[in-house]
Amino acid sequence: MIKNGRASGVVLANGDEIYADVVSSSVDPRLTYTRMIEPGNLPDDFLEGVNRYKFRGSSGKVNMALDGLPNFKCMPGVGAHLRGAMSISPSVEYMEKAYDEAKYGHWSSHPYIDMVIPTLTDTSLAPPGKHILSCFVQYAPYKLAPGLDWDTEKEKFGDNVVNTIAEYAPNIKDIILHRQVVTPLDLEREWGLSEGNIFQGELSLEQLFFLRPVAGWAQFRSPIKNLYMCGSATHPGGGIMGAPGRLAALEILKDGGA
Amino acid sequence: MSETRDVIIVGGGHNGLVAAFYLAKAGFKPLVLERRAHVGGAAITEEFHPGFRCSTLAHNAGPLRADIVRDMQLEKHGLKFTTPDVNTVSLTPDGRALILYSDTKKAAQEIAQWSQKDAASYSDFGAALGKIGKVIGEALLLTPPNIDSPDRGDLWGMLKTGRSIRRLGKKDMYRVLRWGPMAAADLVAEFFDTEPLRATIAARGIFGTFLGPWSAGSALVLMLRAAGDPSPAGSVQFPAGGAGAITQAMAAAAKQVGAEIRTGAEIAEIRVKDGVATGVVLASGEEIAARAVVSNADPKRTLMRLVDPAHLTPDFVQKIKNYRCTGTVAKINLALSALPEFTALNAKGNGNLLRGRIQISPEIDYLERAFDESKYGNFSRSPYIEITIPSLSDPSLAPAGEHVMSVYMQYAPYKLKDGNWDSQREMLGEAVVKTISQYAPNFPQTILSGQIITPKDLEETYGLTGGHIFHGELALDQFFTMRPLLDWARYQTPVERLYLCGNGTHPGTGLTGGSGANAAREIAKTLRK
Repeated sequence: MIKNGRASGVVLANGDEIYADVVSSSVDPRLTYTRMIEPGNLPDDFLEGVNRYKFRGSSGKVNMALDGLPNFKCMPGVGAHLRGAMSISPSVEYMEKAYDEAKYGHWSSHPYIDMVIPTLTDTSLAPPGKHILSCFVQYAPYKLAPGLDWDTEKEKFGDNVVNTIAEYAPNIKDIILHRQVVTPLDLEREWGLSEGNIFQGELSLEQLFFLRPVAGWAQFRSPIKNLYMCGSATHPGGGIMGAPGRLAALEILKDGGA
Repeated sequence: MSETRDVIIVGGGHNGLVAAFYLAKAGFKPLVLERRAHVGGAAITEEFHPGFRCSTLAHNAGPLRADIVRDMQLEKHGLKFTTPDVNTVSLTPDGRALILYSDTKKAAQEIAQWSQKDAASYSDFGAALGKIGKVIGEALLLTPPNIDSPDRGDLWGMLKTGRSIRRLGKKDMYRVLRWGPMAAADLVAEFFDTEPLRATIAARGIFGTFLGPWSAGSALVLMLRAAGDPSPAGSVQFPAGGAGAITQAMAAAAKQVGAEIRTGAEIAEIRVKDGVATGVVLASGEEIAARAVVSNADPKRTLMRLVDPAHLTPDFVQKIKNYRCTGTVAKINLALSALPEFTALNAKGNGNLLRGRIQISPEIDYLERAFDESKYGNFSRSPYIEITIPSLSDPSLAPAGEHVMSVYMQYAPYKLKDGNWDSQREMLGEAVVKTISQYAPNFPQTILSGQIITPKDLEETYGLTGGHIFHGELALDQFFTMRPLLDWARYQTPVERLYLCGNGTHPGTGLTGGSGANAAREIAKTLRK
């Protein structure tokens, strides 16, 4: 809700109106400025910057419920090596080729996979004897080549991840109880991350520091008075570190909280 | 051993000659020693087939910095440029051609046939490049500041550049800051929708580099090349007599103010005693002592081969080893019995449209795929190609009715995964001829003879380490205060009285003469102390 160029509160989807002195948005600039604010409240050059802001999600997530532990060919058996991060990134060339496919709108046939088994450190996450394998997978470009869409590709993408892991841990296929595949499109639809970018926007030099998210608007403020930004789309950017939130809070306090 | 010379310049490339000129003007007595039979380095014209002469390597000036052309009075020394009416013809696989005229208005009219919006954006883009390029041009004139302890001159230079950037106004100031690290593909997409237009302009950001249009920093290469040349696709200027005419005029200018030039004088070693350069030893065994040695050779060749690395610290040797200097360009020169007939141009009258640059860069993805192959050590089977037919502007380069064609081909990586360049040279030539003949079916029948110059030839015959036409990769980490190395960007080297003046120093963006002129200014200042 904007009144006379000032944010005055929010309206919930159910119609409830909540008034506030300060509104601070933790969602990305596309959602904040083009979906939650009526057009006409923002200057054109600012909106141009928001529209130019690049998201381009490139990763997917595959979560598996396992009936046991994967047995890696290179380090057979159970051991401390399963408790940390396990990475399928055998060479720079492997990673680069995975990226090449994504540039032209295809998910990587030989993806870079970063895996953890959190149940080895926190047994409460699964029933006794069962495990969870959480796989971060790259590349999964949000924008697929013409003729492809994520809803059709989703399970193929998931199969490919399992097949890739099976090259390193052949028993994986026998121990999967359930599989959840999260595509960039799911990230957008379910978790509100535009174009499925997990950092609320590309972490490229031209979108960092005083240029994040829009040149001239990197200090957590917005062209609308009392409306602030505090998510990963602000400096210093993505990752679970809380820094944008803290810095934004400090700026809000500096402005007197209202 | 002969008398002690004043300043020896190693190599008579354009920057060596420019440095010789400015040092002579400053009262020094430079002696330029060139290994080959004639000066010119990469700016040379040679006969490659009886009766056919061509700019062997570079076929288009950078363009030269205007103040250098003026100071050296290059026109008085015989240099004459022709600027064709048509700047670039960009061919597409569906048989169309995007024609960019040198005149912006005329170019916009032509672009309007593809997109009205792009026609309007074209002049906006040119104007923005002009404004931004001017400010960058100022920075290119500077000696990069000393980062550890900037002196008064450094601070003044930085202040001036900072103020120029501020004076651009908010919009263009943010553009300078935002564009630099971007991918050229993203930059052109902010202005244009037409794919061949996007790719043709983005190609400026990848030319001569190990970058694709989607690589971060390719926009900066584009901006650097736009400093002093804001024409969106890059200007085209043909010197009468080919690129060699540029360096011949430079040599004449340098001699007139007192520089001496010796050709056929290959340097075997730069002599160093107690950390100080004392002269050179020629391949013939002749020793020439000098007060100072200035190298126009690339940083790796100078510091790893001409100087015995024993005179350098291990730390420095490590850094210079890491200096990225592997080339991606091959050059093909062809003698033609007739002009190729490009399908897309037939209806429009082929001849006149071929006077500028003819580019095969139909789409961003085409360029990126060409780059992809080179990352894994293969040359591009569908390469990015830039063609000029200089005999159209200067008929003296070929027998009457016949022509020379000069072709840049990218990417041809220095390091091949399979085989070597001796075994792949002909295959590279075939790939280029095949690619061009897709656009001009009669092309193969017109070829009388050809010269294929691979990155290995660039290294062995022309002395460019790694076959890199810019003496080292143009990348964010090898620019300005980091060219060639952080701490060593002020034309000096760890060897006292040994200096660098080639493209491996700031600004180092091609055939502009900027590095030679900046280096001469800095060297004269230090030698006078």
